[in-house]
Amino acid sequence: MTAQALVIGRELDRLDGLWEDGLSDTYRSYLDVVDSYDDAVQPKLALAAALIEAGIRLQGLGGRAAPAAALLMGDLCLARASRLLADHASQDLQVAFARAIEEMSAAAASGTGGRPVRDLLVGAFESGR
Amino acid sequence: MIAKRLRFKTSGTTQFVDITEQLREEVRRSGLRVGRIHLQSLHTTVGLAVNENEPLLLRDFESLLERLAPSGAGYEHDDFARRFDIAVDEPVNGHAHCRQLLLTGFTTVLVEEGDLVLGRWQSVFAVELDGPRSRQLAIQLDGEFVPAISSLRGTRGEVARSAGGGHVLPSAVRDKDLVELELTRQLMVDPDPVAVPMRRLVEAGGKRLRPRLVQLSAQIGPKHNPLRAAALAAAIELLHNATLIHDDYVDESTHRRGRPTVAAMEGAERAIAVGDFYFAKATRLIAEIGNGDVTSTVAEALEAICASQIDDVALRGAFPGDHDSYLKVVRGKTAALFAASCASGALLSEADPVAVEALRRYGDLLGVAFQMADDMVDFSPSSGKPVGLDIRQRVLSLPLIYAAEDREVGPEVRRLLAGTLGDAEVERVTELVRSSDALQRVGDEARGLAEAALRELEAVELDGLRPTLVGLARSAVDRNS
Repeated sequence: MTAQALVIGRELDRLDGLWEDGLSDTYRSYLDVVDSYDDAVQPKLALAAALIEAGIRLQGLGGRAAPAAALLMGDLCLARASRLLADHASQDLQVAFARAIEEMSAAAASGTGGRPVRDLLVGAFESGR
Repeated sequence: MIAKRLRFKTSGTTQFVDITEQLREEVRRSGLRVGRIHLQSLHTTVGLAVNENEPLLLRDFESLLERLAPSGAGYEHDDFARRFDIAVDEPVNGHAHCRQLLLTGFTTVLVEEGDLVLGRWQSVFAVELDGPRSRQLAIQLDGEFVPAISSLRGTRGEVARSAGGGHVLPSAVRDKDLVELELTRQLMVDPDPVAVPMRRLVEAGGKRLRPRLVQLSAQIGPKHNPLRAAALAAAIELLHNATLIHDDYVDESTHRRGRPTVAAMEGAERAIAVGDFYFAKATRLIAEIGNGDVTSTVAEALEAICASQIDDVALRGAFPGDHDSYLKVVRGKTAALFAASCASGALLSEADPVAVEALRRYGDLLGVAFQMADDMVDFSPSSGKPVGLDIRQRVLSLPLIYAAEDREVGPEVRRLLAGTLGDAEVERVTELVRSSDALQRVGDEARGLAEAALRELEAVELDGLRPTLVGLARSAVDRNS
């Protein structure tokens, strides 16, 4: 097991099923986006972004509301991402991520199609650098 | 005395316009602490009423008015051939004038502690009887005022500083006012689709215990700054309310704080989006305060809350559960944010680490005690809340756990809870809980935890805050609402 896998494994408590269900692919795609950040925090930041993407999908944000159990799992993904960012990201990056979620949810609440979540989060990585 | 006009547009022929929040806002802006707000309709077809804002009830009122003064029933006022000096646009509205006679054109609402004195289910309505039109009410506020926050700043908008680098505000500005102002300010700048439902929830009240804990703890360290503490306190209150919005969807609750929940009123999709927006906004506001320890403390609490929500729902399959499962869920669901509120306030003021940890433990124990007291409210007929709601929703509740364990009533409680819970079953379970010693046991346990919470603070220098923290702990468990 690699050091990176160990780091990620600790953060997947209660969420292991999601890892097999596409979270690992999302995580890997974000690893390419965070390569300009400190090596030590790259896995944490990529995982935070992947969890936000997974959480929002689970909740059905912007689409049909998820059933209660999926919503709660989505909430946990967002909360875990928030804690990862609080512990490992700069203040600017934390703010950029929060603003991205604000934009997505405001668009969902108003019934207008917002920008894709991936674009918003990649943009957050760029502006929070 | 302040005199103003309250203007609004109506969109229906007959419409109950809930003006409670506008009145609250007027009181808040004016700085009125104790007194009265007088209202007077400036129209002969607009009345005033104080009643419950429940959509079906409002339809009942409309039907009642229609029955008592039907439109088109041949009013002499509408016989223009017999009237003099009528305007070219004179409406046919004899029924509306007659309906207004059944209502009132004047009312007074009392104000205490800077807020309207209204019962749990009361809202103030301007009743349009001949709309749609632009309308206005005359309002006067009189009583004891404190200066508004803007007038407390110096000419350069600065707040006075203490010698130690902390900030000092005139004592007239209470901590609670700062939080309310900050909440109002934050909700003013957000897009309506998210701000309106959240404003409705925030303005419906709530005990504001978490912000209070932040503000008290923030006075303990050497860098006490009331404005930064209020910003953190308001953000934590927003976060708490965001979690409630999602909870209400999960629990299928129709009402909270006497008003329809966001999910019930605006639909599940909107509720999810509003919860997410304020979850993100609150974390941003906390990050912007710029204290990494505070950010991490609150983030950890949020994670604990979400994990416990999952456990809570899972445990409903084994309803009513047991004491250990109950404590595990409550520690995350309720106590985590109490503990984080205490710890983050102290961290913000750069309090001694020993004090931070003592306050964290105080918050944790107080949170559990608070939840136990909250469980008891479900069995109190004087709480103003529907009795037995927790039973109906199969929410984890310590009195139920104790009643289910009781030698005498336990078998029947367990049998009833295992089946379908209709009105009769809920009533019977409530009776059984009340007849057992379950409520006494929960009350004793909650008071014991509150005292344990206070013992955590014994070795901490609290700079005169001890009586307030003691009072807060005891009032959190000795309540009926």
